[in-house]
Amino acid sequence: MQNENIEKQETLAAAPTVSSALSESDNYTPRYLDPADLKLTRSEVGTPRLEIRKEACYLRVMVRRLMPLSNPNQYISLAADEDTEIGIVVNPSELDSESQEILQEELDKRYFTPTIRKVYRVKEQFGIHEWEVETERGRVTFSVRGLNQNIKQVPPARLFVTDVRGNRYDIPDYRELDAESYLQIQRHL
Amino acid sequence: MSTPETQTGTLDPIPDLVEETLKKLDIRPEQIRFAVQSDVNSSGSYGEEWFVLTDAAIFTVTGEGVVPHYIPYKNVLGIRAEIVVDAGLLVLETQEGTVDLIRYSNGCAAKFGFVARFIGDEIEFRNGKRDEAPIWDYKPEEQFCQSCDLPLPDEFSPCPACTKKHKVMLRILSYMKPYRGRAILFVTFVIIGTVISLVPPYFSRILIDDILVLNEAAAPAEGVNRTALEEIFRSIQPLGLALTIVVATLLGIHIIREIFTIFRLRLGAWLTFRVAANIRSHVYKHLHNLSIRFFDKRKTGTVISHITEDSERLQDFMLEGLSFLAVELLLFFGIGAALFWMNWRLACFILIPIPIIVFGARWFWKKVRSLWHRAWRRRSKLFDVVNDSVSGIRVVRAFGQQRSEVDRFGEANVDVREYETNAELIWATYYPPLMFAVQLGTLIVWYVGGLDVIAGTMTLGTLMAFHAYLGMFYEPLRYISPLINWASRSMTAAERLFEVIDSQPEQLDDGTLKAMPNIAGEVRFHNMTFGYDSHKPVLRDINLHVKPGEMIGLVGHSGAGKSTLINLICRFYTPDSGLLEVDGEDIKQIDLKDLRRQIGVVLQEPYLFSGTIAENIAYAQPNTSMEDIITAAKAANAHEFIVKFPDGYDTEVGERGGRLSGGERQRISIARAILHNPRILILDEATSSVDVETEKKIQQAIDRLVQNRTTFAIAHRLSTLRNADRLFVIEKGKGVECGSHEELMAKQGIYYKLVETQREAANVRADAQVVER
Repeated sequence: MQNENIEKQETLAAAPTVSSALSESDNYTPRYLDPADLKLTRSEVGTPRLEIRKEACYLRVMVRRLMPLSNPNQYISLAADEDTEIGIVVNPSELDSESQEILQEELDKRYFTPTIRKVYRVKEQFGIHEWEVETERGRVTFSVRGLNQNIKQVPPARLFVTDVRGNRYDIPDYRELDAESYLQIQRHL
Repeated sequence: MSTPETQTGTLDPIPDLVEETLKKLDIRPEQIRFAVQSDVNSSGSYGEEWFVLTDAAIFTVTGEGVVPHYIPYKNVLGIRAEIVVDAGLLVLETQEGTVDLIRYSNGCAAKFGFVARFIGDEIEFRNGKRDEAPIWDYKPEEQFCQSCDLPLPDEFSPCPACTKKHKVMLRILSYMKPYRGRAILFVTFVIIGTVISLVPPYFSRILIDDILVLNEAAAPAEGVNRTALEEIFRSIQPLGLALTIVVATLLGIHIIREIFTIFRLRLGAWLTFRVAANIRSHVYKHLHNLSIRFFDKRKTGTVISHITEDSERLQDFMLEGLSFLAVELLLFFGIGAALFWMNWRLACFILIPIPIIVFGARWFWKKVRSLWHRAWRRRSKLFDVVNDSVSGIRVVRAFGQQRSEVDRFGEANVDVREYETNAELIWATYYPPLMFAVQLGTLIVWYVGGLDVIAGTMTLGTLMAFHAYLGMFYEPLRYISPLINWASRSMTAAERLFEVIDSQPEQLDDGTLKAMPNIAGEVRFHNMTFGYDSHKPVLRDINLHVKPGEMIGLVGHSGAGKSTLINLICRFYTPDSGLLEVDGEDIKQIDLKDLRRQIGVVLQEPYLFSGTIAENIAYAQPNTSMEDIITAAKAANAHEFIVKFPDGYDTEVGERGGRLSGGERQRISIARAILHNPRILILDEATSSVDVETEKKIQQAIDRLVQNRTTFAIAHRLSTLRNADRLFVIEKGKGVECGSHEELMAKQGIYYKLVETQREAANVRADAQVVER
């Protein structure tokens, strides 16, 4: 099984020399988990539990995205706690449907950042902009201080808006918003 | 168990729905200790959900009256507020396992953080791990203006809505008070200069009508009004003399006008620079009284731009914009009056293009400004690319990435080209039509006025004067929009400056401060908790009593809270709860001047100011004798290398002490601390950035420095703490062990493990050296 993982890693990594140089010690090689061996379940009180076939069972598993911005649906790190990574699942869509569902729920808990789908209006008053928007988590109104400091642009057209209470909102591509929303944003940027 | 009366407070009022739901569970409202509202429901959508604590249980209630979690309090082993990406999660450890109890957005993080801390402490108290029951001292952060409910820029600043724009202008003017006489003189000059500007076209009318045209005997028809002055000029013979007089008068007027302009500009500059400098120094002075938190919340760049850019912007506007605006406005109304006086019918025609000019110019400037702004943003991005790759030129070369760097620049460069071209194209396309609108007015005057002249109802001179005025009349209109923008931007800059001035200082002297000129050096922490954000405590329940002259080594993993503890002793921050006392006095109550004069710090990265070595050693005592400086340098093992420099103690250290090695800088900063002669000394990783040989020298210097002073030392290499009387071990923000090296080693706890790990690492290093040989 160990060898299998290493082999898999070699096919994934662009430069096989890296893994062969480090494969001597297990701690230095990333471990890619085979989705077929994994099973996620919930305990009675809802704690997410991970079972790796013929190996181990973790009573509480922690999920983290390795590329939350550029590739949120792939490369998921599973960990036993903050510092102990169990391994990486490259393609969670290969998990069985129950595991996938639990994984999604846990990811949703850990990554809250609402995505703005529609901007109803942006109103400025004394340097504070009030936004009223539709997100996948519902409609919400929030205030943004200034604009330069609290709107971060990630090229080419991704925007992160941070409101006065420290919440961050994501606009993955402002050019793809509907015309009305685009106009509202454009007017104030 | 705790006594509920004192341990309960309400965070949010409990709504009827929750009360009714609880009634169904046989819980009376008075049994509720507190309820906290979250803005996110368990499926992760915006909504409401309640966290409720009674004496017997912890549970949650949804907005629909459902109770998803009901956990007996006695089953709860632990609680924590977990910080996830852009939100929070209250997690319970129970006997049955881990329960994700309730979700909330960052807006509720502070109160849930507090709840977790409070309940956590209560559980520890219940289990006997804590001596005192936790105190309910929740204070919501003041994020919103109390009078108008708008969010505040930050906790230090006044509400922007409640400080009005015109008040800002008045405030700027209030800085002119000391120069009142000159300010009045300046305004007088502006008015006189404007009036004089109105005169030349009038004389050109006399020139044409009454002198040049007179010999052609084109007698104007009746109904043309002539002033007495014009009658006088008509009567002067010969015409050559009249011409000479008029031209000479014009010359005189021009000279007088220029003289007034010179005085106006000189006076304007004099006033402006004084006012701007006064505002600047006021801001800067205030900046040094602000708490460190103020600087934490802002980037250094923002703070610097406050003093430099904002005051410069304000200054530029006052210097040029303000008098320009005043002169142009006066001219506009003065000329308007003159035009109507000369020929009101014709004057009405010139009003026709005004809406086009005003609205056209407004639209045009808005468009151009935003385009230029975008182009400017691209340009600064290009600059970033250059900066990035030139600063990292060695890395670029080493990895052979010149090509990709050039490509990166190329992309940004194309961007700049596109945006700048775009902006310029808009300018090129719309500026001429705007000019055309201005020309339109002139054409109307030529046509309508020309008809009048042909009909003989108006003289040629009046038409010419009309023309001359017209140019001056339209001029301000074209610039009114950018000027207003300029004005409002400068007012915003001024506001930001005043914002700094209005921010609360680090310590307000309300007369209750304790003067403590001679501190003995006793330091006591009592159940002290602190976090940079109050809902994320970095240090929790710290208890430590340090006797005067004692040396305490602070030990722990990085991020455990050692440096934070030191920041608190320096009183850069104040504890959120619990006590920190120096000589039995609450640190908040000690006069900061006295406290800081008796605290000395030696940091890992010593900061040297530009100046000589001697000046840097004497930084805190600028009037020290040379002998004292040398004594301090000698004690710090710095004298030996200073004398080797060609310029000795006069060696310039340059910005951040670039010309000295790390060890040399460190020894200068130790000399500085020795000379400062503090009662409380803080050593923050003072020896970690130097080689072993230098470390020995620095260690010797430090050993001399710590004599008879209360010392707090942080060191990664535990061997450097061998002289410490006691070691205080911090783990995840809590004080876990305290005692001498021997005691802690015997205990075989965390300190023991740290020492063992370092010993192993040292052995590995030693082995490696053997292999190398």
